[in-house]
Amino acid sequence: MKRTEPFEFYQPASLQEASRLLKENGPGGRFLAGGTDLVIAMKEKGLVPKYIVDLKRISGLSGIREQSDGSITIGALTTMREIETSPLITKKYSFLSQSAAEVGSIQIRNRATVGGNMANATPSADGAPALIVLNATAKIVGANGDRTVPLEEFFRGPGQTVMTSDEILIELTIPKTGPRLVGEYIKFSPREMMDLAYVGVAVAYNLGASDKKCEGVRIVLGAVAPTPLRAKRAEAALEGQTLTETLAEKVGQIAAEEAKPISDVRSSADYRRAMVGAMTKRALLNAAAGPAKSWVERRERRY
Amino acid sequence: MSELTAVGKPIQRVDAEEKITGQAVYGYDLVLPDMLYGKTLFSPKAHARIKRINTEKAKAYPGVVAVVTAEDAPWTHGETVKDKPFLAQGKVRCIGEPVAAVAAEDEDTAEAAVKLIEVEYEDLPVYTDPEEACKPGCVEIHEDFGKYRKADFIVKGAAPNVAEHFKLRTGDVDIGFKQSDVIVEERYFVPIIQHAAMEPHSAHAQFDKESGRLTIWVANDAPFRALHEITEALGMPKEKIRFINPLQGGGFGSKGGLKVEPIAVALAFHTNGRPVRVKFNREETFISTLTRHEAVVYSKTGVKKDGTLMARAMTIYWGAGAYAEKSPTVCIRGSLPAPGPYRIPHVKVDGYAVYTNKPVAGSYRGYGIPQGAWAGEQQMDEIAKRLGMDPIAIRMKNMFVEGDISYWGEQLHAVGLKETLVKATEAIDWGKPTKTAKPGVKIGKGFACIQKPTRSPTTSAAGVLVNAKGEVTVLAGTVEIGQGCNTILSQVAAEELKVPLERVHMHQLDTDVIPFDASTTSSRSTYHMGNAVRRASIHAREQIMEAAGPMLEAKVQDLGYADGKVFLKDQPQQALPIGEVVRRKLGIHGKVRGDGSYTYEIGKDLDLETGHSDHASAFYMYATQAAEVEVDEESGRVRVLRMSAAHDVGKAINPLNCVAQIEGGVVMGIGSALHEELVIDNTGKVRNPSFLDYHLVTSLDTPELIPIVVECPEPEGPYGAKGLGEPGLAPTPAAIGNAVTDAVGVRVYDLPLKPENVYWAIRKKKKDAA
Ligand SMILES: Cc1cc2nc3c(=O)[nH]c(=O)nc-3n(C[C@H](O)[C@H](O)[C@H](O)COP(=O)(O)OP(=O)(O)OC[C@H]3O[C@@H](n4cnc5c(N)ncnc54)[C@H](O)[C@@H]3O)c2cc1C
Repeated sequence: MKRTEPFEFYQPASLQEASRLLKENGPGGRFLAGGTDLVIAMKEKGLVPKYIVDLKRISGLSGIREQSDGSITIGALTTMREIETSPLITKKYSFLSQSAAEVGSIQIRNRATVGGNMANATPSADGAPALIVLNATAKIVGANGDRTVPLEEFFRGPGQTVMTSDEILIELTIPKTGPRLVGEYIKFSPREMMDLAYVGVAVAYNLGASDKKCEGVRIVLGAVAPTPLRAKRAEAALEGQTLTETLAEKVGQIAAEEAKPISDVRSSADYRRAMVGAMTKRALLNAAAGPAKSWVERRERRY
Repeated sequence: MSELTAVGKPIQRVDAEEKITGQAVYGYDLVLPDMLYGKTLFSPKAHARIKRINTEKAKAYPGVVAVVTAEDAPWTHGETVKDKPFLAQGKVRCIGEPVAAVAAEDEDTAEAAVKLIEVEYEDLPVYTDPEEACKPGCVEIHEDFGKYRKADFIVKGAAPNVAEHFKLRTGDVDIGFKQSDVIVEERYFVPIIQHAAMEPHSAHAQFDKESGRLTIWVANDAPFRALHEITEALGMPKEKIRFINPLQGGGFGSKGGLKVEPIAVALAFHTNGRPVRVKFNREETFISTLTRHEAVVYSKTGVKKDGTLMARAMTIYWGAGAYAEKSPTVCIRGSLPAPGPYRIPHVKVDGYAVYTNKPVAGSYRGYGIPQGAWAGEQQMDEIAKRLGMDPIAIRMKNMFVEGDISYWGEQLHAVGLKETLVKATEAIDWGKPTKTAKPGVKIGKGFACIQKPTRSPTTSAAGVLVNAKGEVTVLAGTVEIGQGCNTILSQVAAEELKVPLERVHMHQLDTDVIPFDASTTSSRSTYHMGNAVRRASIHAREQIMEAAGPMLEAKVQDLGYADGKVFLKDQPQQALPIGEVVRRKLGIHGKVRGDGSYTYEIGKDLDLETGHSDHASAFYMYATQAAEVEVDEESGRVRVLRMSAAHDVGKAINPLNCVAQIEGGVVMGIGSALHEELVIDNTGKVRNPSFLDYHLVTSLDTPELIPIVVECPEPEGPYGAKGLGEPGLAPTPAAIGNAVTDAVGVRVYDLPLKPENVYWAIRKKKKDAA
């Protein structure tokens, strides 16, 4: 691995200080969270930031909290491992902790932050689809004040978000959900671990207690378009219906049509599209079946 | 022979602690005083003429000590064909070929300077398919092939770019096919993969003008062969060159021959005596060291209704890449047994090692056996299916047994194949119903058999020193590449000298002091070096007993030897520890030295027209592996549930180490079966030269492993031992392939069995059925 070019390194203690640093130093800076994307980009992909602003000294940017209105906030510096193991998340949204558990290895997850996963905006980012099906919003702070955007509108393209280079993502909020919400995230990749998603599928819907009808259906696809993609036609096909295997298959096929995959060294576009169909179907059925009780069961249900 | 005290015991590896605690110093870690840092300029072109190289800017860059090109290093090397320049001469033949190199005061300077070297290229046609590259009308990638120095046994093919054409001719396949009731014919493909040893490649070199001596520190698996190749290339006397082997962090065949050594040597002549280190990073290791041969295998088999094999014809195109390296011998030793460990009256094999403009292919654990088995063993299952026979039954009917004459004309002995087959298949409950699969998921079982020769004839020599404290030092040229040879050879010395293992020490490998050894390859070390160390130990023991005679006032025949002591047979309490004998005879600083060597005496040389030989290999290794897999029909994803591996090792000198070798081999084999593939586009560029997209298996991809050690003793081997290093992965892909077919009823002919490939095969079958 290459040695990085020299750069200025700042460790501000507050958001204000961070903003000021960016204003003073101008363009060409980068924020640093866990560094699992940034450092690799610098060492292997020729990225040369003029200066780096470490966010880890700023207090209040990490942690998972349930608010009085029933929403859950996740600080941008919260690690993937924290999301994976959080009793709150595991209980309420086990599929979200699953999506965090799919990232790299434990060592990586101990450093990787959810904010970094969003801000880096890789189409295959494992954290995004589950958060989007949960209607999460992103709180962004910059020199010109705060703003909150739906995470669904946060991504603009590979490596691109709505944030300007001086803005900091500080937290993600999952609004209160109904008691009957079920969901699932499936990461499809040939290797069991340490692999990027060839296809990622997150689904969530409210499952009617007696009639088993699906309401408020959300389906989000990862790694098959320049940004995480909502499969809206597929959602509509399931909305208000009772889930059956045949219907799940049909919804999967519609999602496959909505995907915009590319061919690359990992997979052909056609195969990715077919896997969107198969994995969407599976995710919908798994969600109805309830959360997997163990890691092994989760693995068994994936394929 | 008395009861064994060290051999056959499941002893923990002698190097385990050093490695686990991170204290071991590998070649890649080595820092020499006053060392310079080298960096290589690699060709960005797959096939091009070099019109001009300008090194002026790099030379002028502050901190640069030397910049070299072919002008400074006009030498070539190669194990059997001397076709590979130290640095590209006039043309480049693959992306990643070293073109120039820089030595500088630090790594950053070297890297910056190497970018300042300007090279102008003129493109030539690029060949990336071995089957295409030997079509009539193709340009010769090596237009001067005829002028290269090469080994006597090389048979240049008639078609363009064929560096070696191996022929096996037994009986008459036309007659054999005529007499067959069922004939199956198919094309199989095995892609390029890479060894991916944990430690990437590096080499250090230093040239001392005054003494005229060149020293090379490198984790090479065959230092004496490397010494020979450098000597030949430079025209220097052998005595002036010295190889020192630091620890090797894995090799699997990728660290024999010369890789980084020529670059380090070329630089070392221009650094005023300062040592220079050249290190490859992972990407450079992927594109510029070595790969395993891609192989296109056409296989046709004819069989009688009752399952008797009548004829097998195989044509194998081995993609050699840009230089011959070990391709000719992989082609010979991989093609020869490719028809499988079976009695077949009519056999015809044509193996072609074909140059392409891809990274160089060479030895890889298994040496051509996995490619042949991928075709042959799957075809055996196909035939069984066509005949409605059990896959075990058809193999039992035809497989080699003790005393058979093989189709290459050698009488076989110590054939443990049948036992491996029985045990491996039993271990996965062959023939019994499997657990019920989930909907959409199918379960299947499959197995494959192999027979692997070893490089023959070869020599190993060893020395054994016993000092006045009774400590033993073994001088052996076998390289500890992670396979456990230091433990095995220590056990042999401890056995013959009857001392505790802690008293045995392996000397560092240094060609100035260590006796000759052919190579740490081909699963040959336990057998050859084991014999040499055993003989050297016996030689030392005999000298000690000789010396002890007068001390105990007895004739040698009245002396006994046990527990590290010489004693009087009729008065065992009258005993002298061996250290005491050495001290009394030679003084406190004295050492008794025993020497021993072992050469396998070959019978007739390989007949170049028929491929026949009455002693093609010192010994043969037999194995059967059996897999149970689960296939997700909707995604094509294959998961191996359990895998048994029964290997005939002759005699397990260390059962623990045998199990480790088998497990390591199987895991590697699973990677090659399911994931691994170096993707190279039609411009010759490697598209996945990193572990992000070159997928080795992780521990989570590893199934339940059931290693089984079978012992069918080899009379010539030490204590009956054969070898085991390579076969661990040889039948793995074929066994998994057969299991996949058993599960989903579809055969996938191209490796790897990655989800996408399996998926499309299942889809095609469904479409055809509809
Ligand atoms: C071996 C390995 C395996 C991996 N496997 C996976 C995987 O399976 N799935 C997956 O999705 N990812 C994977 N990754 C990628 C990576 O770990 C994740 O994307 C991770 O979440 C990034 O977080 P980070 O804190 O390390 O980000 P950093 O590297 O610190 O930052 C990434 C980018 O985001 C910016 N940034 C970070 N935080 C903020 C913020 N709060 N506000 C504004 N900008 C910010 C940085 O400036 C930088 O440009 C893997 C990485 C490695 C090295």
